[in-house]
Amino acid sequence: MEKILLRNIENPESAHIGEYMKAGGFRSLPKALEMERKDIIEEVKKAGLRGRGGAGFPVAMKWTFASADPKFPKYLLCNADEGEPGTFKDRPILEKIPHLLIEGMAISGYALSAEYGYIYLRGEYPAAKDILDRAIGQAYEKNFLGDNILGKGIRFHLSVHQGAGAYICGEETALIESLEGDKGQPRIKPPFPVNVGVFAKPTVVNNVETLSNLPYIVEVGGEAYSKIGSPDCPGPKIYCVSGHVEKPGVYELPMGTNLKDIIFTHCGGIKGGKKLKAVIPGGISTPVLPPDKIDCPMDFVNMPKHGSMLGSGAVIVMDETVCLVKVCYRALKFFEHESCGKCTPCREGTGWLRKILGRIENGEGEAGDVDLLLSVSSNILGKTFCPLGDGAASVVQNFIKHFRQEFEVHISSKTCPVQGLNA
Amino acid sequence: MRMLSDAAAKEIGLIREKYPTGRAALLPAMYVAQREFGWLSSDAYEAVSDVLGVPKAIARGVGTFYAMYKHAPMGRNIVQLCTNVSCMILGAEKLADFLKNKYSLVPGGTTPDGKFSLVIMECIGACGTAPAMLVNNDFYENLNEKYIEEILAKYD
Amino acid sequence: MIAVNINGKEVKLEKAVTVLEAAKSAGIIIPTLCSHVLLEKYGGCRLCVVEVEKMPRLQTACTLMVTDGIVVRTETDAIADVRRGILEFLLINHPLDCPYCDKAGECTLQDLVEKYGPTTSRFREEKRKVPESLEDPVLVRNMERCVMCTRCVRMCDGVQGASAIAVISRGGHSHIEPFSGGKFNCEYCGNCVTVCPVGAIMSRLHRHSYRPWQLVSETETICPYCGVGCTLVAQVRDDVIKRVVPRIGTGVNNGLLCSRGRFGYEFVGHEERLTTPLLRKNGDLEPASWDEAISFVAGKLKEIKDSHGADALAGIASPRCTNEDNYVFQKFFRMAIGTNNIDSTARLGFAGAQKYIENIFGQGSTANLIPGLANADSVVVVGGDPTAINPVLGLQIRACARKGGAVLTVGHVKGLRYFTPLEMPSSPHMETALLECIVSALREKKGLPGSNSVLEGKIKDLNSSPDDIEKTCGVQEKDFSRFTDVLAGSSTPAVVIGKGLVQSAEGGYKLFLACAINYLINGRIYLLTERANEQGLLDMGCAPDLLPGGRPVSYAEFRKRYETAWKGEISEKSGLTLFEMIEAAENGSLKGLYVMGENPVFNMPNSNRVENALRNTDLLIVQDIFLTETGKIADVVLPALGWAEKEGTFTNMERRLQRLRKAVRRDGKDDWKIIAGISDLLGMRMNYTSAEEIFAEISRVSPIHRDLTYEEIEKGNVIYPYKGEPLRGTPGEIMTHRSEVSGEAGKLLLRLERPLFHSGTLSRHADALTNIYPEAVARMHPDTAGRFSLSEGGRVRLSTSLGFLELPLVIDESVGISDVLVTNNFEGKGAFSVMDYTLDPVTGAPMIEGMEVQIEKGVTA
Ligand SMILES: Cc1cc2nc3c(=O)[nH]c(=O)nc-3n(C[C@H](O)[C@H](O)[C@H](O)COP(=O)(O)O)c2cc1C
Ligand code: SF4
Ligand code: FES
Repeated sequence: MEKILLRNIENPESAHIGEYMKAGGFRSLPKALEMERKDIIEEVKKAGLRGRGGAGFPVAMKWTFASADPKFPKYLLCNADEGEPGTFKDRPILEKIPHLLIEGMAISGYALSAEYGYIYLRGEYPAAKDILDRAIGQAYEKNFLGDNILGKGIRFHLSVHQGAGAYICGEETALIESLEGDKGQPRIKPPFPVNVGVFAKPTVVNNVETLSNLPYIVEVGGEAYSKIGSPDCPGPKIYCVSGHVEKPGVYELPMGTNLKDIIFTHCGGIKGGKKLKAVIPGGISTPVLPPDKIDCPMDFVNMPKHGSMLGSGAVIVMDETVCLVKVCYRALKFFEHESCGKCTPCREGTGWLRKILGRIENGEGEAGDVDLLLSVSSNILGKTFCPLGDGAASVVQNFIKHFRQEFEVHISSKTCPVQGLNA
Repeated sequence: MRMLSDAAAKEIGLIREKYPTGRAALLPAMYVAQREFGWLSSDAYEAVSDVLGVPKAIARGVGTFYAMYKHAPMGRNIVQLCTNVSCMILGAEKLADFLKNKYSLVPGGTTPDGKFSLVIMECIGACGTAPAMLVNNDFYENLNEKYIEEILAKYD
Repeated sequence: MIAVNINGKEVKLEKAVTVLEAAKSAGIIIPTLCSHVLLEKYGGCRLCVVEVEKMPRLQTACTLMVTDGIVVRTETDAIADVRRGILEFLLINHPLDCPYCDKAGECTLQDLVEKYGPTTSRFREEKRKVPESLEDPVLVRNMERCVMCTRCVRMCDGVQGASAIAVISRGGHSHIEPFSGGKFNCEYCGNCVTVCPVGAIMSRLHRHSYRPWQLVSETETICPYCGVGCTLVAQVRDDVIKRVVPRIGTGVNNGLLCSRGRFGYEFVGHEERLTTPLLRKNGDLEPASWDEAISFVAGKLKEIKDSHGADALAGIASPRCTNEDNYVFQKFFRMAIGTNNIDSTARLGFAGAQKYIENIFGQGSTANLIPGLANADSVVVVGGDPTAINPVLGLQIRACARKGGAVLTVGHVKGLRYFTPLEMPSSPHMETALLECIVSALREKKGLPGSNSVLEGKIKDLNSSPDDIEKTCGVQEKDFSRFTDVLAGSSTPAVVIGKGLVQSAEGGYKLFLACAINYLINGRIYLLTERANEQGLLDMGCAPDLLPGGRPVSYAEFRKRYETAWKGEISEKSGLTLFEMIEAAENGSLKGLYVMGENPVFNMPNSNRVENALRNTDLLIVQDIFLTETGKIADVVLPALGWAEKEGTFTNMERRLQRLRKAVRRDGKDDWKIIAGISDLLGMRMNYTSAEEIFAEISRVSPIHRDLTYEEIEKGNVIYPYKGEPLRGTPGEIMTHRSEVSGEAGKLLLRLERPLFHSGTLSRHADALTNIYPEAVARMHPDTAGRFSLSEGGRVRLSTSLGFLELPLVIDESVGISDVLVTNNFEGKGAFSVMDYTLDPVTGAPMIEGMEVQIEKGVTA
């Protein structure tokens, strides 16, 4: 399938508005402004677009709630926090084709009658900050943004808000807190952002990739769009593959492409012909899969059936040289570092898990430690305020579920048996 | 007490206008202050708190929540090396050792000549080209020891 | 009507509340750590998890709102396991030091672990270690005991509004910092102590001095400090107050206190308390027996009365004594002595201001409910910082701002600076012009309501127009119109008036303008008062022109009523005011002065003049709990029982009658008992046996207190106009006087700092408060200090026509460019020693704010 979202990405000047327009950009916005707001939402519904940030929530539904709320002004926030380890799918859009996102947001803003938009950009993408600022400036000049877009009396203002290094700010209510100048700690829901969001106004939060689908949906219509990829969650999907494959990188493919094909066909298989040991399919928070479980369509509906999740579509491939205790340890180190500290189980539990994993990896594990890991993680799972803590717990549980042996050997042999890394 | 330069104060004033509340300008304002002061010292917080009318303790609470605000003086250049899973399995930790042995640059530390500080990062979104790092605002990917030597040579 | 099922119990609810509250209403207690009735919902600790049918995962009861028909279980084995798990997490970093911890016995964590376990810890790694911190003057912090419920932070930020502390860092590194005093604008309210569920933040005052279960008695009473009249509970062991705590759901303060109320109780048992009467014998004050002292006093009083007449004697009543004490005091003077020479320091502003306001709006027009402020849609503040003078009232203004109400201040009000105030910066010499402009602007924007012709006449006469306002008032045109627009637009406004207004040049005229503003916006007036029973003493008739119930002495028919009740004659000649007493003492016509619970030599401006005047009398009687500046020059000093040692009532600024209760036993006499003793010797029997008996008489005699009893007062909410009839005389002529002489720019002006942490005699003897604010200082704006090349901590000499003070300098941005601030709280260093006054022709209040001052570097090292 030829690229839809990432078309023109090879063009070194792709970030410039001129190049973007040459390649057909900013044709959907004028078209959209001719449409009724509700009709745009209707097209999105027909398209069956689901959020690409991880949760896969139906976009049209979220938009309908927000539009129904009488409070004004409304806000459209783009979630460009891309913090899920292994994920680098939004970055090419932000750095190479920012105008795709800007056009997507202008269209969405109109559809939602939102007058203000912010792109919540993770602090770790400083280059993207400058690129977006420049691009937004160009869009204002061309009157694709502003108080009277294309003379249609439509107002939509857009600016970039830079995060400062906190994974949790990817969670939409934490993102809102952070945008308001507070710590990025999740809020109590309800009320939901669509009713009481940023500055207490109705707010829609969507992922970069999600919003970047809008121009195409408007261009071809929801009907045609829904024909791409999995019937029950259609559209193009940007997968990002890292680790031990021959050709790691970003792949735009139809939603539902088989994980096995992604690794062995598109990415050229395991690096150096080594043996595959494990795959994390959707970013570090999603359950790890052993080699015999990767024959499954990568979408929101099928992955759960195969014991994992699509998440952000960030595939991390690990070959035989990798120590999975070490990976699990590193993952927990991440969660411990990123726990916002609001709720007890995550704040205290992630650190405890990390410590236990650390001593196992260092050959200081004790009999019963694996069960302790399972018990502590189950004391976290389902008891936390937000999904971050759940993620941490389920990582431990799934690594043990599929690779318990490796943990036990670490403990009994009092060393890390796996060569490779530690060699 | 050290104050913000007029330019910086003005910059914050402009940022302020992008938001309906002064409080919302806190994060960007702290970036500006960090640029001015090199790190978020008490003076820096004092200054931000004054321009935005946000209580100092609140500003400090927010500032210390985020990993990218610095709370100690830093070297002239900040090496931000990712060691999260994708980078780790492709040898990021060996590169950390390399920085230690070759430049006596340890996580959280600064080289004796004050040229570099090393910060270990969580995923920086360059997993496809791992291992990767940021030096100040520049991405460097597909790292190896030789490449790192070349890169660091460019900075002073 | 919402019906929910909790543990099989049907619970009916009027409105949607949290499952936690719903359960509570049914007597089912769900364990919590982070949730607290006074604080915003949080949902962090996760202990309150419950099972809700048809809901996938466990829900937190503190955040989940009930919906009709839900079925909840709060105690199942599964839930118990979860709670054990959570507690195990909390104990990872919690020291097991209950044996040494002062919180043991009232620690939520301890209780929960007892109930749910765990019994052993599976955590093998190192616990977090944080040393105990005593860097704070009133708090002791053991942050390694902190469970990160963040209650203290939500209290400090979301309720108190001091925002002095915050959660620093994140995740497992989260910790709460700092309490480091002024730098982080801590207000030392100690409200964080109230909400901390563990032993992390505690009062330092009772550290290691007792265990909660060793407290023998708890007495609910009223704070001795300011006119808000917060309810507090004195916890006592061996007749020593160990701790003072508020009570949630009780009193105007509903669980909150300020630094004075919570930490200011140490004066009670202070070693400098007077124990025996003192008589001046050949120059020195020497201990004497009660009989000796009392008969000396009675003899002298009689002597003076016989040779010079009753009007040669006068009495100064006390805003710190009970209604009963003050009632007996004025009755003693009116009946046993036979003069109306009774007054008090209420004359320094409150009395005159209230009289003026009531003349316009009617008696009781300043009696407005303090919590009501939070619901106003705008609050105008003039003449002081409510958050310092009446702190708990200040919190209501902050709450109003949080709810989106507008806060408008004339002048900079430090305590409201983070509450997005609309500020009209005003230098003293432009304040009048500014207020005039506000009045005329409102007159244009709203028109005249037409309900008070006398007042409207005066308002019409105002001919100042808001043009060239920048020049005349020093404020920006756009700020001004914004300010007046908001005011004109508000529907439930309140006007808060501080003494600073009345005590400044043209104070009376400014008060008129404030009243005019209030009239035009149809607001409610709050008249701030520093002293706990300033309102009460006026209502008791401790004023030269007023009888109990605020009835004028000058009206014969009023006098008649009291004469029949008191069986005697009341002089029709209204008595001397406080300041007239001083003059009379100076010119020798006042021979004897009886001062009860007051310290005029320190608490009146130009205190040296006052001292000399009092020295000039033949008889100076001082009745007090400490040997005050006034006591030191007295002929007789009579030791009285103090707050916490006696029964009685106070009347707060809302005119709410409240019960003061005896919390500790101490040998000595109530003020009223001492007076009664003297009265007996003068031939007027006063055989009261209790304060309650006195109050019974008050409720017979005073028309506004009619038929009140202690029993009713104790039920709470006994608020003016009570059951009796207020005085509804037609408003008399409204006096206004605009003197043309108001200081001009460029001069440095001496102004009074009215600090949060002090009150004078009492706070001086409360170690905790003096630790917070240890010595007298002068405050100046950095620029002003710069002009005179003075630096923080250096000594500065302030000279006025009356003399000089030398004080350490504190640089403070919130001080006006042309102002120098000094407190009048510290012995030998009172601002009043160099502040002169002239009396305002309208309110009779001394105009002390803003007299000219010269400053230079101090000479003494
Ligand atoms: C811990 C956590 C981290 C998240 N991080 C991100 C992120 O980095 N980027 C993102 O788009 N969504 C992230 N999400 C999902 C957002 O909460 C939200 O669902 C999403 O931005 C909605 O946009 P979408 O519907 O277009 O996916 C995260 C959620 C959680 C719980
Ligand atoms: S699970 Fe709790 S502590 Fe962890 S990130 Fe979410 S709210 Fe914060
Ligand atoms: S009380 Fe409900 S989470 Fe703490």
